[in-house]
Amino acid sequence: MSIKRIKIVPILLLLPSLLFLGIFVYIPLFQNFYNSFFNFSVFSQTKEFVGLTHFKELFDDKVVVIALINNIKYAVISVVCQVFFALVLAAILEDRLLRKFAPALRVIYFMPVMISISVIALLFSFIYNPQMGLLNSFLELVGLEQFAKPWLGNAGTAIYAVIAMSQWQSIGFITMLFIVAIQKIPHELYEAAEIDGAGKIRKFFSITIPQVKETMFVNVLITVTGSILVFNEPYILTNGGPGVSSMALAVHMYQLGFLKDNMGYASAVATLIFLLSAIFAIVQIRVSGTGKDD
Amino acid sequence: MKKWFVLLFSVAMLSLVLVACGNKEDDKESSSKSKDGEDVVEINFFHRWPNEPRKSFYDEKVKEFEAAHPNVKINVDSVLNDSYKEKIRVLVSNDALPDVFTSWSDSFAENLVSSGRIMDLNNIIAEDKEWSGNVLESQYGGFTFDGVTYGVPFTVDGKAFFYNKQIFEENNVAIPQTYDEFIKALDTLQKAGYETPLVEGLTNTWAISHYLGTIFQRVVDPTVLEKDYVATTGEFTDAGYVKGLEMWKQLTSYMGDVSTAIDHEAARNMFIAGEVPVLYMQFAEVKMVLDGAKFDFGFFNFPEVAGGKGDQKALTGAPEGWMLSKNASPEAVEFLKFLTSAETAQEFTKTDGQLNAIKGGITAENSNPTSLEAYDIILNASATAPWFDNAVDISVADVFMRGGQDIATGVKTPEEVLEDVQQAAKKLH
Repeated sequence: MSIKRIKIVPILLLLPSLLFLGIFVYIPLFQNFYNSFFNFSVFSQTKEFVGLTHFKELFDDKVVVIALINNIKYAVISVVCQVFFALVLAAILEDRLLRKFAPALRVIYFMPVMISISVIALLFSFIYNPQMGLLNSFLELVGLEQFAKPWLGNAGTAIYAVIAMSQWQSIGFITMLFIVAIQKIPHELYEAAEIDGAGKIRKFFSITIPQVKETMFVNVLITVTGSILVFNEPYILTNGGPGVSSMALAVHMYQLGFLKDNMGYASAVATLIFLLSAIFAIVQIRVSGTGKDD
Repeated sequence: MKKWFVLLFSVAMLSLVLVACGNKEDDKESSSKSKDGEDVVEINFFHRWPNEPRKSFYDEKVKEFEAAHPNVKINVDSVLNDSYKEKIRVLVSNDALPDVFTSWSDSFAENLVSSGRIMDLNNIIAEDKEWSGNVLESQYGGFTFDGVTYGVPFTVDGKAFFYNKQIFEENNVAIPQTYDEFIKALDTLQKAGYETPLVEGLTNTWAISHYLGTIFQRVVDPTVLEKDYVATTGEFTDAGYVKGLEMWKQLTSYMGDVSTAIDHEAARNMFIAGEVPVLYMQFAEVKMVLDGAKFDFGFFNFPEVAGGKGDQKALTGAPEGWMLSKNASPEAVEFLKFLTSAETAQEFTKTDGQLNAIKGGITAENSNPTSLEAYDIILNASATAPWFDNAVDISVADVFMRGGQDIATGVKTPEEVLEDVQQAAKKLH
C-alpha cells in the first residue's frame, strides 16, 4: 500500500505541469523538427516532403553564417560585460563603504530590466540617431567628432550598437543575482581573511569569486543561451540591416517564416537554434559540474 | 483519507488546467449566442495607419457607421506599413483574419488570395452597380486574378521626384529630362553647397524597392521583366539589372552616410526643412509636404534613361484597397461599401490629401492645384508599373532591398548583389 501511494501521488501532482510543458514546449519542439523536413507556406497548408534539403541549404546560406557570427559576438560580449562586470558591480554594491546608498543604487541598476524592450529600443534609436542623437552630440561636445557616425546605419557598427543596448539593459539583472549570492556568503570567511591581513581585492578574488561560482555558471548559462535566442533587440533597432550586417539567427528565422513565407526552411533554422542552445547548455553544465558540490 | 484528499486535489488541479485550456472555445460560443440574442454583429477592421491624419479619419468613419447601424460593433486594429505586411501574413494563415482589411495590389494581393480565405467580390460588384460603378475601372486590375476580383481599390498613387523650385531656380537647374541630366543637376547642387542633394531613408527597405522597381522598368526589356517577375521563371540574368544597380549605386553616392540610418519620414522632413532639394516621393505625401514646406515645390517623373529598353514615360505606382475575409458578414460588406463611397472619398481627400480611385472623389473644391496636377499625371500615365516589392516574390525582393542597403554602405558590389538575387530566384523554381 505504502509503496503504491508514494508512486502515484507525486505523479498526479506533477501531471498538470507536465501537461502544460508537453502542450506548450515539447509538442511544438517535435512538430518544429518534423516541419523542417517539409516545404510549406502559411497561405496553403499542403506540405511537400523534401527530406534533408533544408538542412543542406543551411550550409549554403550566407546569411546564416553572418547571423551565427553575430550571435557569437553577442554571447562573448555579453559574458564579459554582464557576468564579469556585473560581479564587480555586485561586489562594490555589497561593500561596507556603500552600505547607505546600496539599496538606492540597486534600484537604479535594476530599473532598465523592468522597462519593456520596445521602449528601450525606441529610446536607443534616438540616442544613435545620426542627426540629433545623444551619442554623436556627446562625442562632438568632448571634441571626438571624428568618431561620430551613423551607428545603426553603418554595416561595421550596427551589430555592436545593438549589443551595447542589450548590455545596458541586462547588467542590472545579473548584478541582482550576484548580490543575492554574495549576501549568502558567511561573514566569518571575510572576518578570518581580515585577521590574516587580506585587502579588499584579495578578498574579492579569494573569497567572493569561489563562493559565487555556482551563480556565475548559472549566469553564464543565462547570458549565452539568451544571446543565441536574441530577437527583440536587433529586430526592433535595425531589422537585421543595413543589408544583413546585424542579422541574428532568430530574426533570420522569423523573416524566413513570416516574411518570405518559407515555413519549412524557417523550421530548419529554428532547429539549428535549438541545437546550438542545447549544446551550449549541456557543455556548460558538464564543465561547471553544477550540483556536485552539495 | 489523506490519500483520497490528495487524489481529489490533483484531479481538481487537472480539471482546472483543462478548463483553462478549453475556456476560449466556450467564450466564443457564449458570446456568439449573446450576439444572436442582442443582435450585435462584430466587425474586425484592420488597417495600416496608426499615424495621423488617417487614424482619426478611420476612427471617425467607424463611429459614423456604428451610429448608422446600431447593431454593429467595429473593432479597429492598426499597425504601420512593414509590420502590417508581416502581421497580415500571419493572420491570413488562420481563421483570425479580420473581416475588413487593407491590401496592396498585385503579388501582395495575390499571395493573400492564395490562402483561399479572401472573399470573391464578383457578385457583390455586379449586384450593386451604383456603388461599384463609382470606382475607376482601370484600378481593379491589380486585385483581379483569373477573372475574380478580390479587392476594391481605394487610394491611387504614383512615385515622382519632388523638387524644391526655389533651390532649382537659385542654382539655375532645369528639370532634368534624362538620367544624365539628372546626375548633372545633382552635381551642380552638390557644388552649390548641398552636401546631400538627394536623400532617402534607407532603413525603410520599401523605399529602396521603389527606386529599383522604377530603374528596372526603365532599363530592362519589358518581356524580360515579365518573365523574371514571375516566381517560377525568374532568373535575373539580364545585363540590364547590373546597369540598374550601378545607377542605384551612383544615386546613393549623393545621399551621404546618414541615409542608411534614417527612415523615409526623416528624409521627408529634411526635404520640408529645405535641407535637401530633391526627394523621390509618393503623391500620397503631397499634403504632408504642402502642410510643412515654406517653399514651392513641383515634381518630375523618373527621367528617361538613354539606351533603356522600357517605356520611358511609365509611372511607378499602384492602388491600395480593401479586402474582405471569406467569413465576413453582410454588415462587413456594407462597411466596405461605406468605406469606398463617394462621400467617404471626398472627405478623405479633404483630410488626408491622398488621391483615390473613386470617381468624383477629387475635385477642385476639396483638393489643391498640386494634388490635381498629380492626379492628372496618374490618370494619363502611358503605363503604370507596380511597386517592386509587390511585383516580385518577397524572397527575391528582400535580397534586392537588403542588397540595396549593402550597395549604399559599400559592403557589396552590384554584381555580388545580383548573384545573391539569382540564387534566391533559383530556389523558387
